[in-house]
Amino acid sequence: MNLALLGGLLGLGFVLGVLIAILEVYGPKILRLCASVYTWVFRSIPEILLLLLVWFGPSQFGVQISPFFAAVLALGLRSSAYQAEIFRGALQSIPSGQTLAARALGLSRLGTIRHILLPQALRLSLAGWGNEFAVVLKDTTLAYAIGVVEVMRQARYIASRNFPLTLPAYILVALLFLAATYFGLFVIGKLEERLRIPGLEARR
Amino acid sequence: MTLRSFWIVVLGVVLLSTLSMAAEKFIVASDIAWAPFEWVSAKGHYVGFDLDVMRMIAVLEGYEIEIQDMAFDSIIPAVIAGKVDIGASGFTITAERAQVVDFSSPYWTSDQTVLVRADSGLNIVTALMPGRRVGAQRGTTGAIWVEENLIAKGVAVELILYETYPEAIMDLLAGRVDAVVQDQAPSEQAVRQYPGQLLIAGVIKTYEEFGFLVAKGDPKGILPRIERGMKKLKESGAWDNLVAAYFGNPLEAIEAAWEACIDILLVNKDPVGYAACLAQKVRELSQ
Repeated sequence: MNLALLGGLLGLGFVLGVLIAILEVYGPKILRLCASVYTWVFRSIPEILLLLLVWFGPSQFGVQISPFFAAVLALGLRSSAYQAEIFRGALQSIPSGQTLAARALGLSRLGTIRHILLPQALRLSLAGWGNEFAVVLKDTTLAYAIGVVEVMRQARYIASRNFPLTLPAYILVALLFLAATYFGLFVIGKLEERLRIPGLEARR
Repeated sequence: MTLRSFWIVVLGVVLLSTLSMAAEKFIVASDIAWAPFEWVSAKGHYVGFDLDVMRMIAVLEGYEIEIQDMAFDSIIPAVIAGKVDIGASGFTITAERAQVVDFSSPYWTSDQTVLVRADSGLNIVTALMPGRRVGAQRGTTGAIWVEENLIAKGVAVELILYETYPEAIMDLLAGRVDAVVQDQAPSEQAVRQYPGQLLIAGVIKTYEEFGFLVAKGDPKGILPRIERGMKKLKESGAWDNLVAAYFGNPLEAIEAAWEACIDILLVNKDPVGYAACLAQKVRELSQ
């Protein structure tokens, strides 16, 4: 359940995050403003509050969404704001001469972003993105507050049935998270290696 | 509109409404971490007194239920928001809660207990003296009792609130709190699981009454059906059997009996037979 949550929220966060980062760096002034307001809002509100807002909010207008969907939405929106900042940093680290060169060669503005800037920026943001992965993996345990039965909740099931097992159950969950983080970061590390372009990294 | 298309529309509407009637289903929210009222068995089933009462009434009154696990203090907001239809989680009927939701008539009476470490030598008076650290689960009447009857009246105990009850017990064993205030049945369960280490220092007679709760004004008309169902259960003796099975027995015995008998309720749709089976099996297994 935690992994399904993680997949959903990282996917949503990635797509929105890239979009917002591009808007923040290359968008017209008004969209740039909207994007910074967006990241400001979703980076400011505590996750647990965001979860409750997304879950209870829509029902005021007669829209009922499932706890799982609400959790993906709330955590995904929050993550998209953080991911947007990661991608923004990477985009801005690319020397502006490249844009000039690409435009001079006849690429359109979108084409420049698509073919020149994004491929480099995404590579550069992998390290930061791995960090975000490790953070949101743990956020998935918050979803139990709105009724998603995830691994932390299951540990509490065990604890409430058999009190002396409380600590062992929590230790087991901790080990599961250690393993999941190790595996995830391992994959991201491999990806970094695979995608590395010699000479691209951190050149001044 | 031609007459023919008119009839097609009428037929469609009738079909749809019978379909929705056949699938009449209410969502029951419960904080399934509070044995013996509700807990998750070793095999992963939702068992417990509240949940079985809900299942039995659903069979008697001809509707379906889906049980949704939820943090205790989220249940009432979820009922108000229309996210779920019924709250069944050992809710004490209080005036404050009755302002925002509607309660069924009481189905259980409970008192609060004060749990202490067996070697602490505390009694019910010394355990709740000023300066003592007292634990309770957030949002429960145990916590409210400490606030209203001790802190508000100038007895300066330090109230520590926990997300779940087992965490309060862990802290009591570790010595970080001196006492835990909680309902009687879960306290007795804790004492059974830590023989010689925990002790019920005393009972606070609060005569709290538990009720099932629905949204204010009962828009779906659920309460009359719950009332009718409870009446049938009590008249048939099924209620007494259920009480005998669930209270004062080891959870393992209850779980095994539940596994053995539950098909009588869910497949054969026979609540009375189920309760009789459960009571008898629990008696056999806990000897």
